[in-house]
Amino acid sequence: MDSSELYHVKQQFTLAAYKSLVDLTLPDPNSPDYTPTLVYQARAHIALEDTAGALKMIPSDSENVALKGVAALARYVGASDETSKDAALEELRDLCVEIEGDDADAEEKEKDTVKVLAGTAFALAGEVEEALETLGAGTSHENLEAVAVTVQIYLSINRPDLARKEFERSKRWAEDDVLLQLIESSIALVTGKDSYSDPDSFYTEQLANPSLSSPHLLTARGVTRLLKGEVSGAKSDFEEAVSQQGGKADAETLAAMTVAAGLGPAKQADVEQYWSQLVKEYPSHPLVVDVAKKSSVFDELAAKFEVPPVA
Amino acid sequence: MSVMLTKFESKSNRVKGLAFHPTQPLLAASLHNGSVQLWNYRMGVLVDRFEEHEGPVRAVAIHPSRALLVTGGDDYKIKVWDIRPQNRRCLFTLHGHLDYIRTVQFHHEMPWILSASDDQTIRIWNSTSRNCIAILTGHSHYVMSAQFHPKEDLVVSASQDQTVRVWDISGLRKNTPNTAPGTFDTFDNFSTVKYVLEGHDRGVNFATFHPTLPLIVSAADDRQIKIWRMSENRAWEVDACRGHFNNVSTAIFHPKHELIVSCGEDKTVRVWDLTKRSAVQTFRREHDRFWVLAAHPELNLFAAGHDNGLIVFKLERERPAFAMHADTLYYIRDKYVRAYDINTGSDIGLLSVRKFGSPYIPPRTLSYNPAERAVVITISSDNGLFELTSLPKDAAAEVKDSSVDGKRGPGHAAIFVARNRFAVLNKTTQLIEVHDLSNSVVKSIKPPVVTNEIFYGGTASLILSSTSSVVLYDIQQGKTIAEINTPPVKYVIWSADGALVALLSKHTITIANKNFSQHTLIHETIRIKSGAWDDAGVFIYSTLNHIKYCLAQGDHGVICTLDNPVYLTRVKGKTVHCLDRSARPRTITIDPTEYRFKLALLRNNYEEMLYIIRTSNLLGQSIIAYLQQKGFPEIALHFVQDKNTRFDLAIECGNLEVALETARTIDRPECWERLAQQALKQGNHKIVERAYQQTKNFDRLSFLYLATGSTDKLSKMQKIADARGDPMSRFHNALYAGDVLGRISVLRDVGMHPLAYLTAKTNGFDDLALEILEAAGLTEADVDDVPSFGVSTLRPPPVVTSTADLNWPSVSSGESYFDKALANGLENGPDVPYVNGHDTSAAATSALDEWAKDEEGQDDIGADEDGWDLDAGGEEAPPEDEEDEFEDAEVDLGAGAAAGVSEVELWARNSPFAADHVAAGAFESAMQLLNRQFGVVNFEPLKSSFVSVYRSSHAYLSPLASLPPLQLHLRRNPDESSSSRILPVAVRTIQSVRSELSEGFRAVSGNKLPEAQTVFRSVLHALLLVPISTDDEAKEWRDLVTLAREYLVGRSLELAAYFTHCQLQPAHMQIALRSAIGVFAKANNHATAAKFARRLLELNPDPKIVAQARQRIAAGDRNPRNAVEIQYDEFTEFDICATSFTPIYKGSPSVRCPYTDATYLPEFKGKLDSLLHLTEIGAPSSGLPAPRS
Repeated sequence: MDSSELYHVKQQFTLAAYKSLVDLTLPDPNSPDYTPTLVYQARAHIALEDTAGALKMIPSDSENVALKGVAALARYVGASDETSKDAALEELRDLCVEIEGDDADAEEKEKDTVKVLAGTAFALAGEVEEALETLGAGTSHENLEAVAVTVQIYLSINRPDLARKEFERSKRWAEDDVLLQLIESSIALVTGKDSYSDPDSFYTEQLANPSLSSPHLLTARGVTRLLKGEVSGAKSDFEEAVSQQGGKADAETLAAMTVAAGLGPAKQADVEQYWSQLVKEYPSHPLVVDVAKKSSVFDELAAKFEVPPVA
Repeated sequence: MSVMLTKFESKSNRVKGLAFHPTQPLLAASLHNGSVQLWNYRMGVLVDRFEEHEGPVRAVAIHPSRALLVTGGDDYKIKVWDIRPQNRRCLFTLHGHLDYIRTVQFHHEMPWILSASDDQTIRIWNSTSRNCIAILTGHSHYVMSAQFHPKEDLVVSASQDQTVRVWDISGLRKNTPNTAPGTFDTFDNFSTVKYVLEGHDRGVNFATFHPTLPLIVSAADDRQIKIWRMSENRAWEVDACRGHFNNVSTAIFHPKHELIVSCGEDKTVRVWDLTKRSAVQTFRREHDRFWVLAAHPELNLFAAGHDNGLIVFKLERERPAFAMHADTLYYIRDKYVRAYDINTGSDIGLLSVRKFGSPYIPPRTLSYNPAERAVVITISSDNGLFELTSLPKDAAAEVKDSSVDGKRGPGHAAIFVARNRFAVLNKTTQLIEVHDLSNSVVKSIKPPVVTNEIFYGGTASLILSSTSSVVLYDIQQGKTIAEINTPPVKYVIWSADGALVALLSKHTITIANKNFSQHTLIHETIRIKSGAWDDAGVFIYSTLNHIKYCLAQGDHGVICTLDNPVYLTRVKGKTVHCLDRSARPRTITIDPTEYRFKLALLRNNYEEMLYIIRTSNLLGQSIIAYLQQKGFPEIALHFVQDKNTRFDLAIECGNLEVALETARTIDRPECWERLAQQALKQGNHKIVERAYQQTKNFDRLSFLYLATGSTDKLSKMQKIADARGDPMSRFHNALYAGDVLGRISVLRDVGMHPLAYLTAKTNGFDDLALEILEAAGLTEADVDDVPSFGVSTLRPPPVVTSTADLNWPSVSSGESYFDKALANGLENGPDVPYVNGHDTSAAATSALDEWAKDEEGQDDIGADEDGWDLDAGGEEAPPEDEEDEFEDAEVDLGAGAAAGVSEVELWARNSPFAADHVAAGAFESAMQLLNRQFGVVNFEPLKSSFVSVYRSSHAYLSPLASLPPLQLHLRRNPDESSSSRILPVAVRTIQSVRSELSEGFRAVSGNKLPEAQTVFRSVLHALLLVPISTDDEAKEWRDLVTLAREYLVGRSLELAAYFTHCQLQPAHMQIALRSAIGVFAKANNHATAAKFARRLLELNPDPKIVAQARQRIAAGDRNPRNAVEIQYDEFTEFDICATSFTPIYKGSPSVRCPYTDATYLPEFKGKLDSLLHLTEIGAPSSGLPAPRS
């Protein structure tokens, strides 16, 4: 059983309370919690796209595989060109090989962390097969974080059936962990099972969780409500999320707000305002990228039609 | 197994007789030592004692409707008592019995008293005439009990002669004899033994009738309880209950249920099933033999008397098991789970739980899970059981029984902790197990304290109740989050937002926040029964006899009193919803003003306070005292009219102006004095002066003037003193003013010549000194021995800065909110739109107002019609979308798990509508559909619609760190799970388009034609991307297309005339006609203008417009010709070519737009339509596809 501090750290990470996690003070370096906490904090930095912050935290001479893994992931996420990305990926591949060996003196948990980190990076690079292989998809491991990543990869390639299998398998040993519930709710988000009741109750429950608060949860519930067709409820969630983020919406919330604005009876101007804000501030958000792609597809397709002169 | 719930217990001498008061919580107990006690068993206090009997008192009864008590003792006397506290006394004594009296009873309607005695007789007494009116003889031994039948004219008696007898007393009622005592022989005529019931082998101690059925129960020394049935003409033994192992003292029927309750000298109270004659439960007492048992006539309450006192007990919990979700109350009544909607009042049975646990015990708790629509119920029988059952969706004709699919198990408490988890407590093993919905254990928890109850503790948490504390326990983490020391917590109630929780114990309430970091404790002397949170965050709770409130900081008070306990379920505004003791939902209306006011005060919500003040007639002395005590005298000040209180408050909060004002009206010296003191403290010497003046406090006033350096006032004071003839005061003032001459003159006036002389001398007034000497008849030589003093330099200090006109500066308190509000008068203060759901209509009203304003705005536009100047308007450039061009980077999926079918593919597959294909991102198929269905060839104008529809059909969420977010697809039928039916969200709907269209109408009315044109065009664009699901919608869709097209064609001004032929709405038609008149008149086409004017008149326009129109007609008459010839024949029906705006008369060849159906001259075939620039004119098309349902 994790100590309660570490449990709390893990819970914050799982529920995407990255900001508060980053602000935590690290435990004593001799404490057994030190490295795991450091790993989670660094991962929170990465999740916030502050890879420099993550790298700064990790001593460069560390021999710990988990820390090395985090550093590599940070380098991958932070890399601007292909070569350094490849280098970071190679590094992770080496680490994976290292922990496979029997003589590796890393703890089981750290090995698990490395797999998750590597799997994340491979998934980011679009190497689905390699990612799934690394995460041990379909095998009988007990690494819940790996399951979570696996499930998300399956979902992203439209294989909710496999995702559900993976989830069912882990249900047997994962003791009703928060992460397990998150996985369950993610699956339902994609499949629309039971009118999205799983994610709806999960996020509503977690919002009432006394031990943390995370605007992500609000955004997530808002998105769930959008999916359920409750547009005005969704909008109020987003607004509250923005106010919790100090008035500046993060990419996820802003994107969701754009979507929501387009659905209700909102003024066209509002939609465009959100949209241009999103395009300006987060040009790499998948929504922006995707819509831009679609827009060019449109032009191409429209050109195929012959337009006669105006009557 | 003992489920007897002791409510009250007293210690005393042996209790031989017991009687409940029918309406009040009173119990009379007659004791072996001759005393009769009257207990309030709810409060647990001895109310009264009646001690006039000599020797043991065995018989006692309370009158069913009057405040009367009757007792019968071993002194052969029957006494009737008035039990009203103000005139409690023995009213009269009935003499006649010749031995111990065993029982007495009042008749339920006649003024009769029934008594049974060891003298082998039963007597009936008239309590009005105080005579014995009947003696029933026949028993051959002591008569141990006699009871009236609850309805009929029958009496049942039990005797040591081993018989039970039923007596017919109907004759007594018919001709109530009013004979003098002593003439017994007349009685036997009308009181006859009806049945003699033989069967007991020993003396019978007690017999009584069933309240409704023709049954009798008897208890005897043969240790048996016998049940007898009566018919019209006979009575027989039905059965016997065996089980007592000593004499049975009393056996009675349960007033409500089919049960018999008995007690005996074997120290037990036993409960029997009336139909099965089997023992249901037994309650044992260590040392005390039971002698008597009484049932409350209305309530589920019993009393038993034993060797050392009495106990009052319930056989079953009355507290119904219930759970509240949203506005629905789920509760159990008579072993049925029911749902009660507090808004509609619908109350339906959903589930039978008859087969769950003991049939005699109602379920104890119910926990409801809205996500699964399931309940977990617990019952205390069989050492605790739980059952998980889902509720049926709707109330079916045949109510489902829980045993069909219920999942059961042992447990003392069971509650839902998440949508798919519930926790079960096993008290004996001290283990909490978390089950999933298939009832398999997913987790076991060893609680950190000895746990008696578990409650929901917020997300993934439990509240554990132990004997001395409550623990907030995290299930996930398996550890204690917080612990609060309290007496054992019995119920837990969460506020609606989950921020606060109320923990109810027997006599305390703890209000804590959700992580138990803050809490307050409230003590109650009366037992707390239940509670519920008000919408505003006030906790409303019920005790045995009150409904009270409690604020989060611990302030509490009474709202109203209760006759009987209720179980609060929900508080909504002024209405308290609750369940009564028989588990029937009811409501109580309360006045929430007081606690709302206090809450507003705590939150500094002055607006609401003001609102409350204005709208309620609250605010007696108590609220003022409350405000004062809570340190808000300045607020209290505003509520007070009484001038004395007002003055007190003003002084207390230092509001001198108000104090001065009220002091003036009161005008009593002590007020002025207090005002002066307060003003002095604050340095406001003007008010001090004023106060001193009022009280004629000259000394102080003078001193005040000295202190403030107000010399002229001092001299005035001198004059006043002079006038008053007060030399002392004159002297004082002269001294303060530094007026030496004044001083001297005072001294001279009062004859203190030596002092006057010296004063004059030392101040250098030698002449004056001489004068004084002379006046005193002395010379200088006489005062030789007076030492000579130098000239005195003593004088009042000079005024450096005059403060006479300055008050000590104090921080301006500013004008308080209340000052402003109250200055305006309470009636016209600012609007308070919303108070705690108290007045929700206000919000709606304001919305209406806004709407009304909008309307007015439109009228303004409309009124501006004189500026109607038709403008063909430049063509609007189609909006260009600037989008970044991206290379279509195909993401190459690796092998491994092959990618599945994306939801968007399903969308496209499931729908024939372009809109759904666009939402799916399948632009290519969408375009093809539009081309095929509507002949669209130019897609450029639709680009923004395409993009925005696509954009709003997908949401992104990253559940996990650093991974790319999941693309989620918004559906329009989220309840659908079959992949062949799911469809994308409808971004544009008929409804949204219609509202856009009305904007266009508005623009037309406002003479903003270019805007209107844009709107109509965009409406037609949007309609292309509206998915249709029903035939009605399809029809409406077509209507909208036509409507928008008509307006779009008609917009062109050069053809204003034709515009008038478009089918427009009458109001718009007027505009069209007027514009046409204007244009044609300008062009000197007076003849046509006049025609239009005539048509305009037909529409009954404004008088002003009528006048103009008449002018035009006149001009047309004067000058009936047209300067310019146009192709316009007003007589034939025709369509208008949307491009050339020439009429196409009926029967002429034309081509049409495949989408809008607009008409064109044949020469335009194959060209792009000029209205929308979308379609190829005359292209073949299939039209709107049929909706798939």
